[in-house]
Amino acid sequence: MTCETASETESTRQLEILASMGRDFAASGDIESIFSTGLERISAMLNAEGGALFLLNDNGDKLVCHASFGPVDISGLTINATEGIVGRVVSTGVAEIVRDVSKDLSFNNTVDQKSGFTTRSILCASLAIKDEKIGAIEMVNKHGGDNLFNNEDLKLLETLAASASLAILNARMAIELVEKEKMARELELAAEIQKSLLPLDGDSDSPVAGVNLAARVVSGDFYDFFELQDGRTCFTLADVSGKGMNAALLMAKTASLFRCLGKEAPYPGNLISRINAEVVETAARGMFVTMLIGVYDPEAGTVRIANAGHEPPILLRSDDTVQSFTAGMPPVGILPDIGMGKTPEETIINLDGGAFYVFTDGVTEGYIGEKELGAEGFIKFIRDGKNMAPGARIAAVAKHIKEGSSILRDDVTILVIDDGAAFIKRKQINTNAKKSMHGDKSNGESNPDAPNGEGEIAKISVPAVAESLKLIRRAIESASGNCGLGKDTIQDVVLAVDEACQNVIRHAYGGVNDGNIILNISRNAQSLIIEIRDFAQRVDLQKVRPRDLDDLRPGGLGTHFIKEVMDEVEFKVPNDGLEDNKGNILVLTKSLK
Amino acid sequence: MEIKISETSGVSVATLSGEIDLQTSPKLRGELLGLIANKRPLVIEMSGVSYIDSSGVASLVEAFQTARSKNLGFSLAAIGEAPLRVLKLARLDGVFVIHDTLENAIIANGGN
Repeated sequence: MTCETASETESTRQLEILASMGRDFAASGDIESIFSTGLERISAMLNAEGGALFLLNDNGDKLVCHASFGPVDISGLTINATEGIVGRVVSTGVAEIVRDVSKDLSFNNTVDQKSGFTTRSILCASLAIKDEKIGAIEMVNKHGGDNLFNNEDLKLLETLAASASLAILNARMAIELVEKEKMARELELAAEIQKSLLPLDGDSDSPVAGVNLAARVVSGDFYDFFELQDGRTCFTLADVSGKGMNAALLMAKTASLFRCLGKEAPYPGNLISRINAEVVETAARGMFVTMLIGVYDPEAGTVRIANAGHEPPILLRSDDTVQSFTAGMPPVGILPDIGMGKTPEETIINLDGGAFYVFTDGVTEGYIGEKELGAEGFIKFIRDGKNMAPGARIAAVAKHIKEGSSILRDDVTILVIDDGAAFIKRKQINTNAKKSMHGDKSNGESNPDAPNGEGEIAKISVPAVAESLKLIRRAIESASGNCGLGKDTIQDVVLAVDEACQNVIRHAYGGVNDGNIILNISRNAQSLIIEIRDFAQRVDLQKVRPRDLDDLRPGGLGTHFIKEVMDEVEFKVPNDGLEDNKGNILVLTKSLK
Repeated sequence: MEIKISETSGVSVATLSGEIDLQTSPKLRGELLGLIANKRPLVIEMSGVSYIDSSGVASLVEAFQTARSKNLGFSLAAIGEAPLRVLKLARLDGVFVIHDTLENAIIANGGN
């Protein structure tokens, strides 16, 4: 009976130890302190003088003491995985009693020598789950009796070791899970920071709006826009190569550069070139950014863009026709000089009440069911949404893509610049301006080039020959006179337009009389605008520069005159469909204020 | 543009009128260089010029430089407001010798 009771008590204590170890693991995340308490309990139960818990390191070649109990603290002690009695037990997986260590050749007495402690007998059981070796528990010198461990002790330690193995494995898995969750939380934080880099939503009817859906937690896409003091809006949309954290970090960097440098100098070509120089210097090899930067001028109804390897943006005009514009430069982050020795190319696009869309390939490569959306699909969506506010329209497209595919394969980012509202406003200003022009009889003559629609004053087409210049001068004189400009200013504008037409005749057409010049004279509330359209070779802007006036020689003065006299001089790529859009448009603007 | 050529007490006088532009400046250039070849000082009377462009200015500059290289006098006279404005734009108003009347220009160039 007594024996039975003793064994029952023993079992109860064992169960208690196991249960308490389990509780400890659940209650604390600190695995090392749990080892210590576990070891202390086991040592107490086996009545051992000391004990140690050894675990294999990640490489499996060393055994490290993670907890120790008794007169000598050996925690931190590291031995080779096969060394000593512990090493042997770990390798064989068989628990051992060594009654007299002095007779065991494997026994390593360095600790005893250092500490003055005398190890007499050892009890050691391996920690393992199936074939996975974890380490071993060692008990040293039994209190009382003959100071020797017996077979019952060995059995008990084996049982406890099996449970401890399971507990250790559980704890390790729990820690891994916690780590993973911590990382997920950090990723969510990163995503939150990223979202904060995107511009705030403007009014629901704001002409510039963007949308971004990330395929993963963080995104490699971004868009941004901000209004400049003069009412224009500087915008960008970019797609960083690759996905995940490194793409997100490069995105954050590029976005900050855009904000920072863009406010300083909002010139798309120059801006892209400066951002490129910064990114090239520091970006990890093989990473790049396709990027489009533009400036929208609601007073002129134009966007001026520079495109570094990004998807061609799309203009959906108010008459429902579509045009796309291919990139002029390689992506940002590849070449130290993105313009390859030239000023990065800029394109000026007349929106004329249309809407301009910039987007990432995640949009056109998005799936609706089994079918890729494609540019066609995208255009259909934006046409369908024509009557919605710009922001709502692109949000609807993004929603279609998100709901249309079982999983987002790539980030979806769209930016829209809708010129519709500004167009109506411009029309009203022009109508008012015309009314006041007609009402003003002070110049005593009716305008021979009576303005008709959209602020256009006159449009003339003449052969590109010197004989046409006189006619051109008369037309400009009359038009600028009707805009209320003073005598000197009229002379200046006439000179500038004459010089610009001369350049076309002499340089663009190279003296061959086979082309025409079309002059489009218009005005808005602020300016007189003369567009000079030719059908010659594209002008190399590098070669168009005013000469140094200190260099006294005939020729080269024309460009200087134009730049001196006009408020704005800009080359534009034709977009009127005439002769396959070949040739150039020079836009000369003179302020009426 | 019209050019009238005359000679007063050893000074060549070119009287210009009308508009000098890409169409007419080659003629102006030819006439002026021809006059300089006569090795007399040259005065250009411009009161009748209503317009001059960069090609016209270039013709004047070339003639001016040629005359100077031959140590010949070269003056503009009675230039109107509009062409003077263009010379100012080209920062040439200080380069050319400009007299307000033809008479003064002739005297300055050794005539009487």
